[in-house]
Amino acid sequence: MTEQAVNEIITGLKDAGVNFVSLLPDSEFSSVQTRLLKDPEMRCVSVSNEAIGVSVCAGAWLSGKVPALLVPTSGLLVASWPLTSICMAWGIPMVLIIPFRGDIGDAHWVMRPYQYTTKGALDLLQIPYIVVNRNTEIKAAIMAARRSASGWLYPQAILLTGEVIFS
Amino acid sequence: MKRSECLKLLFDKMAQDVIVVGNVGDTATAMLTYRPSDANVYSVNLGSCSAMGLGLALGLPQRRVVVLDGDGNLLLNLAVLADIAREAPKNLAIIVQDNEVYGAAGNMPSATAGPADLADLAKSAGIKRTGTIRDLGDFKNSVDDILNAPGPLLFVAKIETETDRPQSPVTYNPVENKFKFVRYIEATEKVRIIPQTSGSRVVL
Repeated sequence: MTEQAVNEIITGLKDAGVNFVSLLPDSEFSSVQTRLLKDPEMRCVSVSNEAIGVSVCAGAWLSGKVPALLVPTSGLLVASWPLTSICMAWGIPMVLIIPFRGDIGDAHWVMRPYQYTTKGALDLLQIPYIVVNRNTEIKAAIMAARRSASGWLYPQAILLTGEVIFS
Repeated sequence: MKRSECLKLLFDKMAQDVIVVGNVGDTATAMLTYRPSDANVYSVNLGSCSAMGLGLALGLPQRRVVVLDGDGNLLLNLAVLADIAREAPKNLAIIVQDNEVYGAAGNMPSATAGPADLADLAKSAGIKRTGTIRDLGDFKNSVDDILNAPGPLLFVAKIETETDRPQSPVTYNPVENKFKFVRYIEATEKVRIIPQTSGSRVVL
């Protein structure tokens, strides 16, 4: 991930009013995560699995925060239980930002299964998503996701692919 | 020691502005019966109760947050203990009502019916203030700490398996609970959680 992409993600989160982030360390995302953990404008909570991250974000939203969960592609499957039992059942919004490992362009064989599970899981969870291929599209996508999440009271996801994570 | 006895003691001393996050099943019914309040979050499903309490405690550091978790609920996602210890919110207190069974599932034994000790696990995870309460007198003596002592703290209350469950006249669903809670927080904290919309736009 380039410095430009990192900057666009962090600026995009702030411009969209996101002030609470939960994350699990992820190789493609570590540069974003490291910056967020040091950012005084962002309450950043590192968690031990993505299901905890969803629940922490849900509690944060109930408290008045605007949460985002930075979730690895594989971690979306871990997060699916509270995304169902809390977000789907209660209608609790958050922005999910997911590096779309396993998309075309990813050469690592370990990631191939996530080509199939990622969009499928989001569809099952009824979570709309935007696929972002270019760094210049990041900020607008985050703003759009935050608006719909807040208006519809439901999670919205952004799948980062193309030059955003593979260059 | 019965759940209802413990929760009555706790709720009798609890200020109205304390946020209570509760487990599913008998905990939710007891909350509705003994402390009906818009400051309650009811029926948080397995693996999420203490984690949601953590999010609330971090978001509202000026408010006391009491989590009424259960052994089965906490066991599903024990890693949350380490995350709570790392974040260490001073306003968070967790009571694990440990009846050693999955009460809503025919009282099948949980792992705490065996050698598992949730207070020891919490301590090993890094939560500095932990303990196990085995009788009502000790619970009564712990209420002040639950409501006022610096957190995070986690007490395991060993309770009996329910046979005379309280029946609440209140009906609710999580969506209704969410809106009541959010409107309560908006009013008491002077914040807007659910934004206004204007046409296709959300006023952020």
